[in-house]
Amino acid sequence: MANKLLLPNKYKKIGWCLLIPSFALGIYIIATGFQTDWLHAKTFSIFPDELSTNKKFFSLTDVNLTNTLVGSLFIIGALLVGFTKEKNEDEYIANIRFSSLLWAVLVSNILLLIAFIGVYGSAFLNVMVYNMFTVLLIFIVRFNILLYKSSKSVPDEK
Amino acid sequence: MKNNIRIERAIKGLTQEDLAKKVSVSRQTINAMEANKYVPSTVLALKIAKIFNKNVEDIFLLEKSD
Repeated sequence: MANKLLLPNKYKKIGWCLLIPSFALGIYIIATGFQTDWLHAKTFSIFPDELSTNKKFFSLTDVNLTNTLVGSLFIIGALLVGFTKEKNEDEYIANIRFSSLLWAVLVSNILLLIAFIGVYGSAFLNVMVYNMFTVLLIFIVRFNILLYKSSKSVPDEK
Repeated sequence: MKNNIRIERAIKGLTQEDLAKKVSVSRQTINAMEANKYVPSTVLALKIAKIFNKNVEDIFLLEKSD
């Protein structure tokens, strides 16, 4: 059962190398509001800052790229980890992957629903920041837990 | 659906790993099938039956709940 949406296994390592540092840095940024001074640049933007004077679509805008960089690396890393084949890829692993993805979408949206009901005002912006990454993150965690469990539960081997 | 892969495997003297290699899947897959946690694809069921020189119906059996 070949799945054309999955990359070869070798990309998984690259994915982890991007995901782990960007995840750690992301948590740090959220916790401390840290922004680098040197990552300032005039950048092409599809839509610039709502509050700035420049409101033209597809224009150059001066921004701090810390969030952009960390967020992009996180998404690329998470996609590489989540969408690469396992070393011993087969139909059972594909089955675990699909059920993890389903589970992740469900759990992520239940969390979002709870946040919708319980969080108001500007705090909700934080919820939106977290929610951008939860589907991929929960998927990766769930998939790896199930993989680990299935590799451990090999009883009465004869 | 239940199956008697474990019994057939014992008759042939194959380990889960041996059978997994013969049908080119991971050992987890064989294990999950024996534990009735996973229903294999038709292709895999046919491959397993072929290894044991039996018909698919001799190895995979429907249950009342199916």
